[in-house]
Amino acid sequence: MQWLNLLNANIRKEYIELKRYLPNTIALLLTFYIIFLAAFFGIMFVGDPASFEVNVQYSIISVAFWSLTMMTMNFIGFAIVTEAMRGTLEQLYMSPLGVWKIMLTRIIAQFILQMVFMVILLFAAMLTSGQWLNLNPMTTLPIILITMVSMTGVSFMIAGLAIIVKQIQAFLQIFQFVLMALVFIPISVAPFLAFAPFVKGVDMVRTIMIENITLTQIPWADYSFLIANSIVYLTLGLVVFRSCEKVAMKKGLLGQY
Amino acid sequence: MEAGEDEGFVEKIIEVHGIRKSFKKRKTKEIITAVNDVSFDVHRGEVLGLLGPNGAGKTSTIKMICGLLQADEGSIHINGLDIQKRRLKALKHISAVLEGNRNLYWRLTVRENLEYFAGNRGLSRKEVAAQIEKLLSQFHLKDKENELVNGLSRGMQQKLAIAVALLANTEVILLDEPTLGLDVEISYELREILKTIVKEEKRTIIISSHDMPVVQELCDRTIIINKGTVVVDERVENLLKLFETRAYSIKLGDALSEAQQLKLQRKFPLSTYKVGTHQTTVEVNLEHSEDIYELFDIFKEEGTQVESIDRITIDFEQVFMEIVKGEKNYAMA
Ligand SMILES: Nc1ncnc2c1ncn2[C@@H]1O[C@H](COP(=O)(O)OP(=O)(O)O)[C@@H](O)[C@H]1O
Ligand SMILES: [Mg+2]
Repeated sequence: MQWLNLLNANIRKEYIELKRYLPNTIALLLTFYIIFLAAFFGIMFVGDPASFEVNVQYSIISVAFWSLTMMTMNFIGFAIVTEAMRGTLEQLYMSPLGVWKIMLTRIIAQFILQMVFMVILLFAAMLTSGQWLNLNPMTTLPIILITMVSMTGVSFMIAGLAIIVKQIQAFLQIFQFVLMALVFIPISVAPFLAFAPFVKGVDMVRTIMIENITLTQIPWADYSFLIANSIVYLTLGLVVFRSCEKVAMKKGLLGQY
Repeated sequence: MEAGEDEGFVEKIIEVHGIRKSFKKRKTKEIITAVNDVSFDVHRGEVLGLLGPNGAGKTSTIKMICGLLQADEGSIHINGLDIQKRRLKALKHISAVLEGNRNLYWRLTVRENLEYFAGNRGLSRKEVAAQIEKLLSQFHLKDKENELVNGLSRGMQQKLAIAVALLANTEVILLDEPTLGLDVEISYELREILKTIVKEEKRTIIISSHDMPVVQELCDRTIIINKGTVVVDERVENLLKLFETRAYSIKLGDALSEAQQLKLQRKFPLSTYKVGTHQTTVEVNLEHSEDIYELFDIFKEEGTQVESIDRITIDFEQVFMEIVKGEKNYAMA
């Protein structure tokens, strides 16, 4: 019940802030809309018409996957830095539920809101282009969801760093490039990369879409690996985050001193 | 389980034992001791004033009680729970309004702030709906409930921050400099609201302040800290009484001789001697009540008439200034 009330409060807060900062939100929505449209038209003119649908579908899922990944990775660290700058971080630390729970509910809230936006925009893009895709989200969504759990772990690690140094912009940019590189290296070339967060998920989605198979056709070993990977990263993320909190409390870094 | 680790009914809801905190200055690497061996207990329902000049260590002490800052040494128990080991559990008993004006989300409205912070404590909007109404009217914020905090005056923001802390329904509330930077009017209003709350609700409150009337009117007991150590820990009424009995204004029939004046200066260096056209007065602040006899000896020597002796009524501010400026350690009798 406490969890639910916490989740409810944080979904409301995220929603209110998106609504109140409409220009920002609209800019974000437009970006996605244009990217989706570009995917439609670009592939329509350049790609092979025979594989049009698969290509569009693949690029759209990739865009969605990539932006969710980036959002998730940056989110908690950015929230911590913002709260610290506004001076509200200490009040968050007065919650008997713990800041990690608050941040977890906020990231879930953001995730839900982003998914809603993406679905709406996708339909808008299909409407504009007149191309109706048979997107089958049931095959990829579960994999994306599990992958986001590991990205949440990464997000907590970055947030831990943010509590202490309060400056993560440069670091995030480097990280973004590292992730980008990871996406383009196939696991078959460097199998150990599967232990990195997010890479296994991307690989599975790619396989599903290119080989046009369904969820049940993927071996259980792959799922088990993906789930284990997510659990490990989330746990690691929380451990790092909580140790950084302790350091911050020792050195008096939570306030605006 | 360690003794004193049990939650349940504990008479002393806050127990602070020998806490110390030092900071390393970022630039000079110089080490500052902000809190140096502070101990005190707070009983349930007690309203404690924490007084001290700027930099005395009030905010650091309050933050250590909330667990926002970890003490280098010593222990703090809230309702029997060690704040350093069981922080989250202990936080169920505490809410705080921290120093400065950033206890709120400026981009949310008054009502949204109340609801959001309650949500962060696991309370549903439904659960707190009635209390929000009560607090909005108690703090005269009802007509501002849908305004963004950003646009409110500093005083209103501070009232809202206190309302948010009260909404948490904790037994302990910590208020760090609640009237700092507010104009006289709103400071008075806030004091009156707090007075009602102190009277109506049996909460344990710690108020740190420079604002003497706040402490004088609201608190049962006061702790004065200076340079990180406790200088005085005494009931407010006793503190006032103590100083009252020690400060005298004595009217004399005649002027004092040179020799008498010299003796007065030597024995009571802080006394003032005034010769007016109609009367002569001596004002003294006696460190020990027996000293009054020595004073009278000086007058008796040359047969000076004592016309009247009055206690000087002083307010808390003077008491505070004397203790802090004089750096005297007043061992209470
Ligand atoms: N986070 C911090 N980092 C470094 N120094 C600090 C920090 N917090 C407080 N101090 C120093 O500790 C001393 C006590 O400060 P504080 O507790 O804020 O006193 P008060 O609230 O009584 O004014 C001051 O000298 C202050 O400069
Ligand atoms: Mg202070």
